[in-house]
Amino acid sequence: MIRALALLALAVFILLPLAQAVLLSLTVTLPRDGLAEGTMGLMNYAAVLATPELRAAMISSATYVILNVVLCIALGLPAAYALARFGFVGDRHVMLALLVFRVTPPVVLSLPIFILFSRLGLVNSPVGIALVHALFNLPVAIWILESFIRAVPRALDETAFLDGHSGPSFFFRHLVPAIAPGIGVAAFFCFIFAWVEVVFARILTVTAGKPITMAINAMFGFQTDLGMVMAMTCLSLVPGLAMIWLVRNHLARGFTLRA
Amino acid sequence: MTPHDNRAWLLVLPAMALLVVIGLLPLLAVVNYGFHDIFTLNDVHWVGLEWFADILGSDRFLASLGRSLLFSALALAVQVPLGIAVAMLLLGYRRRAVWGLMLCALPLVVPWNMIPMLWLGMIDRQSGLLGPGLDAVGFDHRFTAWHTWALILLMDTWHWLGLVVVLSYAGLSAIPQAFRQAAAIDGASRWAVFRHIELPRLGGALAIVLLLRFVDSFMIYTEAFAINAGGPQDATRFLSIELGEEIKGFSYGQAAARATLYFLIVLAVVWAFIVATRKGNDTA
Repeated sequence: MIRALALLALAVFILLPLAQAVLLSLTVTLPRDGLAEGTMGLMNYAAVLATPELRAAMISSATYVILNVVLCIALGLPAAYALARFGFVGDRHVMLALLVFRVTPPVVLSLPIFILFSRLGLVNSPVGIALVHALFNLPVAIWILESFIRAVPRALDETAFLDGHSGPSFFFRHLVPAIAPGIGVAAFFCFIFAWVEVVFARILTVTAGKPITMAINAMFGFQTDLGMVMAMTCLSLVPGLAMIWLVRNHLARGFTLRA
Repeated sequence: MTPHDNRAWLLVLPAMALLVVIGLLPLLAVVNYGFHDIFTLNDVHWVGLEWFADILGSDRFLASLGRSLLFSALALAVQVPLGIAVAMLLLGYRRRAVWGLMLCALPLVVPWNMIPMLWLGMIDRQSGLLGPGLDAVGFDHRFTAWHTWALILLMDTWHWLGLVVVLSYAGLSAIPQAFRQAAAIDGASRWAVFRHIELPRLGGALAIVLLLRFVDSFMIYTEAFAINAGGPQDATRFLSIELGEEIKGFSYGQAAARATLYFLIVLAVVWAFIVATRKGNDTA
């Protein structure tokens, strides 16, 4: 009974701010198109989807997040395999370096990253944001993948190589299927840190390629249409909700500190 | 035993190369800028340790450092025990716990700049769900310092509790049932089971939770700034807000020196933490 009440309180605490957002997103907060203030309905969502800049922002966010997830998994898998299966000179230092990169505050690096990326022509491009988000996502991806690979018996590697599989064919035919849930969890954590991040996403999009977060910021002004802002926010939650649903049964694996 | 093979470096190399380019090089650049006065990128003068001495000697910096440390301490003190408690509560529900985990993970997917908007919307006096009630009891986050603190702390807890819950739950559910059964046969109390069986085995999961929550709360910016821009009367001026002001004011040399100091503080805490956990592992 007490447990159920505690869970109920938790659910209210978590859902209340979101309920507020959903409620506002369904309400007309500025009189527009002949609709009176306070009218309920899906008008805000229709207005958001009809605005080209907001549509572009969603595509831009999705582009760099997908690029980032692919990049982190592609570079993280071999590194995680090496760390899980072999000892080598400096392996503990690699782990320590990953930790240091993960905890470096983004705001510390914002200025030189901007200068570096503008020299490389990566400002205003989703590639730039995808690269820079790897700073905190790649370590997390390596930690998660390493723990999943470690849980797979070494016999898998050995029989595969005895069967005559080469390196790449072993990777894709045996290792990847064996740790598919781990790849899902790693993708989930990369996704949530990249989708919601603001500091790098702001400094690296000066004139173009604005992500959802910046598009929402731009909607605040002299007369803010809060209903539209909240509709945009609710839409921005949809991919996150889908990710949570996809990895729900593997979320409980989490990741641990290895340094 | 893991076999020793230095060819494994070839597999680690691409990841490390990327991290060096986007992490180490900019970091070295920041440290270098910190020793210079920068008007434009072509007009740079060496000033040595001047910025560092200025910052370390200013009362404002020390006050902000104190506030940031206090905020991190409060955030950890609230979120870690609460997160573990929720994880233990969910553990009792076995297969249905996944619904609780999904619920807790919800705030993690909300864009950071929208989190303060959600909360400000909720406590808005006219239209907020909680606004009229809070107004009636005299809550005012704009002018009463401790109300601002409470709001930021509550919002931060809302945002990050899910991470603590998910990682603690992962740690707890990895403990074999045999341990708990043995303790039950010995007649151990719930608290004794937690203190002597669950807490020690939660180590790896808790370590990452403590570190991530420390660095993220210590450098809180987007959310704290949106609530009250560091006010009232600088009561919520955290370190990151000072850095943001300098960057906006184009004093890049000083901002770089400040960023270097922040990085060193974070690094020192992480280092102390690792040394402490390694000692703990050696004696255990």
